[in-house]
Amino acid sequence: MVSLLKLATITEEGVRFLSPHDGSPMLLTPEHSMSLQNSIGSDIMMQLDDVLVTTSPDIVRMREAMERSVRWLDRCIVAHKNPDRQNLFCIIQGGLDLEMRRECCREMVARDTPGIAIGGLSGGEAKDDFCRVVAACTELLPELKPRYVMGIGYPEDLVVCVALGADMFDCVWPTRTARFGNAVTKDGVLNMKREKYAKDFGPIEDGCGCPCCRPADQEGAMGITRAFVHHNAAKETVSAHLLTIHNVWYQLELMRQARKAIIADEFPAFVREFFNNLYPDRVSYPSWATTALRSVGIDLFKP
Amino acid sequence: MTNDGHELADEPAAMTFELLKAAVRDGTTVARLGRLALTGCKSVVDTPNYFGLTSRGVVPHVTPDNVSKHLQTNGAYLALEDFIERPQQYSTRSPPIYETPSALGKPLHGFTALPSSFITVLGARRLPAVPAPAGNTNHAVSIFTSTGFQVLPTKDYRNAVQVLKPDIAIPPADLTHGPTTPTSKRAVKMAERTDDWIKEWFVDDDTTPTASTFAPVLPIPYSMQWEYLERLSEDLTTDNRRLAGLALYDADIIPDLNHHLPNLLPLPRLSLAAPPTPHHILRQISLGVDLFALPFINATDLSPFVQNCTCYACTRHHRAFVHHLLSAHEMLGWTLLQLHNHAVVAAFFAGIRQTLAVSDDAFEAARAQFHAVYEPELPAGTGERPRARGYHFKSGAGEGKRNKPGWGKLGEEEEAAAVAGKAKGDGAAVDGVDGVDGKLQDLSLSGEEVKIEFLISGTVTGETIGVTEAAVEKDR
Repeated sequence: MVSLLKLATITEEGVRFLSPHDGSPMLLTPEHSMSLQNSIGSDIMMQLDDVLVTTSPDIVRMREAMERSVRWLDRCIVAHKNPDRQNLFCIIQGGLDLEMRRECCREMVARDTPGIAIGGLSGGEAKDDFCRVVAACTELLPELKPRYVMGIGYPEDLVVCVALGADMFDCVWPTRTARFGNAVTKDGVLNMKREKYAKDFGPIEDGCGCPCCRPADQEGAMGITRAFVHHNAAKETVSAHLLTIHNVWYQLELMRQARKAIIADEFPAFVREFFNNLYPDRVSYPSWATTALRSVGIDLFKP
Repeated sequence: MTNDGHELADEPAAMTFELLKAAVRDGTTVARLGRLALTGCKSVVDTPNYFGLTSRGVVPHVTPDNVSKHLQTNGAYLALEDFIERPQQYSTRSPPIYETPSALGKPLHGFTALPSSFITVLGARRLPAVPAPAGNTNHAVSIFTSTGFQVLPTKDYRNAVQVLKPDIAIPPADLTHGPTTPTSKRAVKMAERTDDWIKEWFVDDDTTPTASTFAPVLPIPYSMQWEYLERLSEDLTTDNRRLAGLALYDADIIPDLNHHLPNLLPLPRLSLAAPPTPHHILRQISLGVDLFALPFINATDLSPFVQNCTCYACTRHHRAFVHHLLSAHEMLGWTLLQLHNHAVVAAFFAGIRQTLAVSDDAFEAARAQFHAVYEPELPAGTGERPRARGYHFKSGAGEGKRNKPGWGKLGEEEEAAAVAGKAKGDGAAVDGVDGVDGKLQDLSLSGEEVKIEFLISGTVTGETIGVTEAAVEKDR
């Protein structure tokens, strides 16, 4: 429960908050959370956890949140009605304290849930800290369970996290930035509202395979030009839809390429090419990325 | 541009219009059944029918791929003023749309990524247009772009049509766009200018537009514009390549046209009179209108989702989901409503054509029945609409903010409500349902008011009830 934390009070029983619809008091317990997700029938269910912003200096409260998340996981497992067809993921907490994270990993791995999520990140912490936490967790997690880093969406973060041993991600950023008029491409994020795209009749991204970028004479393609996206960016929702289609395609394609590279045993080369495209001078790579990648044996500066 | 595997066409297609059936009553032609065909692309429009209405080159909320996949209309009205704004910082640049590379096909289609088989109708101004304070001059119309008012010389508009190659073009008309009827002095001026402009339009030179021309018919009495209309009838119908149809800004002139100018009878008539409700559509059809550009589809949802409806939205989703999308301000909600509304209106027109094919009397009977069953007005929407943009409207003096602020301080709303509660006395706040632009009206799904539901049934057991069958229901 990280969203709308200000409006909520967290007790051992669960989270109390006011309904955003009618202001009536609500109580969300681990049991109720499970029963809701059981009735929705999602393939993956997330445990109810107690999250603090990672940058919180309050170590006592952080430890309380981590331990409570473990206790709530136990209650979730008991309350889960369909363990045969719905997969409950635990969520590892512990802020930026690596020791606390490790302790949480050991506790939760012992509960043997079908999948494991690393939670609480992407809340404004330094990128170096973020990478250290992901690396510390993935080190302790079993090989044959999906590892899901919650709230990660920047392409650089995805690639680095994959390198650190994570499998799954979720993020609102690609679609939200699309609604703001930004296109995610292999050369970086392009603000389509800029005047330089007004007469650019090329596709949003050269060589992209999404329905917007492929030429219109191909099956299921639209042949959208940058000029048309620019024309309606921040004006008509259609531009937001088109950029959403493109950005989601980009993210999925990025992960497809990562999988291909891993299978072909060419992952370091893939990572280097990805960062080379973003930083064509091949020098100004962000230091958090170079450090994190070096820790798993990938050197961006290698020719 | 094709989503459907056509060759790219770079010239507008020639157009033919065939009247399949036209009932004659009291010596005049009334409701009629026809077929508009554009050779070159396989677009055939059975009339009566409607064209979609675009905003800035898009059917609102519907991406070009979904236009071909899920919309039943095969044409749309576009306004040049949506494409030629001059941003303050780049005031000297020429509008990008004029530089659309020819590799993309017809430039208007290419720029907007519409399929080349989709019929484009280009006019100078949006429908409905925001009145310009400066008015028109003898050689230019005032337009309203997303960066403010501009003057568009009629010659420039003519050039634009030749460059952009829409399938159908509407020459400039001297219109006031105001809510009041023009004075007779103004009306005479309107007719004179429009007459001058049509002469200018058809001057034979190398820039003569190749698009099918639908000449504007002004919203003033016949007696005020008979000279102009006679020119259309006598000079421009002889060589039938020239005048392809009429664009009516007021359908009530049709009886006079029928009576005085039989030469114009075979031309298709496109109503730009923005019928506010289906009742107005039926009335205009009974006068003899063939085609419509309809703003209200974009405005309100006609209904909660309908039983047995075959549109994409109804077959895949349910009311509760759309209700949720609307309250969560998710764009998908508007998209689904748009697809559904288009499906409902397309089916409405299909029903009309079917009834007309039976007989004119059947049509009139069905119209009367429709009138009896349905409420006269479309329900006001209650859902959250997209934010109104500058090019949708011009705010008047002392008008409040059109868009609600996206966020505020915690508890601010309650405070404001408390203050408003005390100050209340001169009537409840009126929501912006003024419909300057369709999108200013809310989409509705929630709330407790009575909703109108169009159930279109082609044939109903026994006799063809035709157009529509009604269901007024209390929605929860």
